[in-house]
Amino acid sequence: MTISQKEIKQAAGLIQEAYETHQPIAPLRDSFDMSIEDAYAVQEETTKHWIKSGRILSGRKIGVTSKAVQGQLGVDQPDFGMLFSDMAYADGQEISMSHLLQPRIEGEIAFYLKSDLDQENVTLAEVVAAIDYAVAAIEVVDSRIDDWNIQITDTIADNASSGLYVLGSTPVELKDFDHLNCGMVIEHRGQPVCTGVGSACLGNPLNACLWLAKKMLLVGRPLKAGDLILSGALGPLTPVSVNESYELKINGLGSVRANFTS
Amino acid sequence: MDRLDAYAEKLDTAALTATDTPQISVEDNSFTVDEAYQVQAKSIDRRYARGEKRIGIKMGLTSRAKMIQVGVDEVIWGRLTNKMVLEEGGTLSKSKFVHPRIEPEIVFIMKKELKGNVTALEAMDAVEAIGPAMEVIDSRYENFKFALTDVIADNSSSSGLVIGNWHKPDIDISNLGMRLTVNGQDTMFGSSAAILGHPVRSLVSAARMVEQSGETLKPGDIVMAGGATEAHAVSVGETVSLTVQNLGTISITVEA
Repeated sequence: MTISQKEIKQAAGLIQEAYETHQPIAPLRDSFDMSIEDAYAVQEETTKHWIKSGRILSGRKIGVTSKAVQGQLGVDQPDFGMLFSDMAYADGQEISMSHLLQPRIEGEIAFYLKSDLDQENVTLAEVVAAIDYAVAAIEVVDSRIDDWNIQITDTIADNASSGLYVLGSTPVELKDFDHLNCGMVIEHRGQPVCTGVGSACLGNPLNACLWLAKKMLLVGRPLKAGDLILSGALGPLTPVSVNESYELKINGLGSVRANFTS
Repeated sequence: MDRLDAYAEKLDTAALTATDTPQISVEDNSFTVDEAYQVQAKSIDRRYARGEKRIGIKMGLTSRAKMIQVGVDEVIWGRLTNKMVLEEGGTLSKSKFVHPRIEPEIVFIMKKELKGNVTALEAMDAVEAIGPAMEVIDSRYENFKFALTDVIADNSSSSGLVIGNWHKPDIDISNLGMRLTVNGQDTMFGSSAAILGHPVRSLVSAARMVEQSGETLKPGDIVMAGGATEAHAVSVGETVSLTVQNLGTISITVEA
């Protein structure tokens, strides 16, 4: 740790306030000299606060899963954030922009777990065995940091820039789609605005899940049966506008729509 | 010599000798798109005169990113000859190009003639087979910089192609994942959806555009649908491979 417990609470307080007031804040790195470990401590502080206030953990998200974004942020590993049940939206359900500060979207594969992943030295085989099914998911990322002016510690402290998520409704077992080579497109008004492929997520979305399972065990919040994993973007971040609809298609996983309203 | 003939000779020589040349549009600001297509036809005629055979066409600027980059809202096309074909699994000799780049594509081969305004349904009905492909693009202009007219005159940067195994056209090609790897490392990620939203839209555009030049797509012609990601600038010693979901993997190794 390079910052004090008091500073961790202060930083967490600023993040929480940004949520409550809908006002973005200046980059935390300007006020706090955080290590990555410190930033996760800030995130954990906000997580505890939210659990105490009644929010229910529904899973985790993995971020910074592309080489390009890792390069931009100067890191060589992904990051994680907490998903809460109130962040989940259904296919096509209206998403009020007033709940968000500066949303953008990503197309991802979401994995739903049927068993706990709390064993030491977890392997890819165990991750595969723990996955019940996959669905296509639109992650609505958001930043409490003004103008998305983030470095790695800013985004980690800010729950890995989590916003909301919209889940597809056609569950598919791992063996029934090609999670490595599946094409991904986000369409807006019938035109492709973002494209990608399964392997864009850390070489293989299951690699990201394995990283997460190990990391969660390490930080004392192991993945459990019933948890959802948003495994990471298959293409670049895509801007969104109010009163517009965006449809994600992942080959083999069907489609899902995000509808933004004022 | 007619000014357009002079441009055609200049571009043909640049391609033949693998040397770059200044942009036409910089010195000739009255150069139009129609004239640029005439220059392209004239420069390809010089290739035919040397014994090269027409094998089909390529579509270009088929992604929104490229259209925005060049500042246009229409696709472009160029002509393919047998001399441009590179053997799948073989080598690309970099010294025969100015500054080659490789981009991942989907390719069609025609079984019926196609021209003019056609529906997606008619276009697919005219397709014999589909396959994975890499196009070697190589602008003959300095620093790969050009205006729309320049690139059209330069055969839409077309210079080589690598084609994989054929598949019956009953595969849904709307959203096939595409991974371009360099020496086994994933380098470009995309989907066939990046090609105008669906590669068949490229084929529909192809039919319309060739007719405007008095040509048609003939049985046996191949149509390269356009790039699905940014192009990768190749270096000597690299093995570049493309894997397309459900269509397989192709590769080529770059030598000096």
